[in-house]
Amino acid sequence: MAGKTIVVTSGKGGVGKTTTVANIGTMLAKKKYNVCMIDADIGLRNLDVVMGLENRIVYNLIDVIEGNCRKAQAMIRDRKLTNLCMIPAAQTREKNAINPEQMKNLCQELAEEFDFVFIDCPAGIEQGFKNAVAGAQTAIVVTTPEVSAIRDADRVIGLLEAGLLRDIHLIINRLNQRMVKKGDMMSTADILSLLAVPLLGVVPESEEVVISTNRGVPLVHQKGSKAGRAFSNIASRLNGEDVPIEEDKSDGFFAKVKRFMQS
Amino acid sequence: MLNAIRRFFGEKPSSQVAKRRMQVVLMHDRMDIEPDLMESLKNDILAVLSRYMEIDQKSIRVDLEQGKDYTALVSNVQVKRVYRHAHSN
Repeated sequence: MAGKTIVVTSGKGGVGKTTTVANIGTMLAKKKYNVCMIDADIGLRNLDVVMGLENRIVYNLIDVIEGNCRKAQAMIRDRKLTNLCMIPAAQTREKNAINPEQMKNLCQELAEEFDFVFIDCPAGIEQGFKNAVAGAQTAIVVTTPEVSAIRDADRVIGLLEAGLLRDIHLIINRLNQRMVKKGDMMSTADILSLLAVPLLGVVPESEEVVISTNRGVPLVHQKGSKAGRAFSNIASRLNGEDVPIEEDKSDGFFAKVKRFMQS
Repeated sequence: MLNAIRRFFGEKPSSQVAKRRMQVVLMHDRMDIEPDLMESLKNDILAVLSRYMEIDQKSIRVDLEQGKDYTALVSNVQVKRVYRHAHSN
């Protein structure tokens, strides 16, 4: 049976797409699935540094697509998990060096080999976005509780739906519970009422994320990290496990959120 | 504390300001509805109305009207006759 192809996108840059791909991908590999992550952000690659694999790059995504190397040569194996690998983006090429059709074919081929194929989408809604979403059956839209991120997420959701990609899930990243409590940050329920796509998970704002990217070791490897736990729960939900959304003790909207998810 | 004072003077929490603003902004953004979607909306409204009343098919107009902080769907239909019972079709 073919694996799942999942694009992680957001419209706005810097909301945590790459961190999300690295953590969910790593977690699913820890669950013994075969996972491949593709960095589709051509010219601005970052998944390699977040994964701590920047020193091992020889070939990249465009080399694979142009046939300069075999697929397996461009796949960089993770340092800890042998069933996890990534294909880095080309750093010195442009986004229009590939087209959606080529990405679609590559994703299809990879889905034969792997249980999960993640595509780390570039920011924006131009060619790079179109390439990244072309081969995906499922989309994860990442947003933060800020107006600019939410507006861009809404645009992206509209574009995905217009492109007939209807299996869309939302991750709210960097939620600061203290600010929500004070009424100075939109809550999960507020954001869901605006965007109206099913919620896959909420990741609390955390300094640990910065530290883990400094080290190039995804957070899910670290025990006792709240954000790491949020990411591993997201991975479980993607895997079809029934893990309830972490309860927002402060705002009592939890029941509302739950109802929304079930509707 | 500062927040409590502000609220006492009737200032809304910034999160609610943000939410309200986003409701309007997203509505505007989503308003770029393609003409064929508008056409099929019009046909659907027509079909439902026709079950209850005879209407002038040519007179129907459906528009989205933009106010300062709202969007309204405005439809004008000329009714010729109202049925006594709903027609199922």
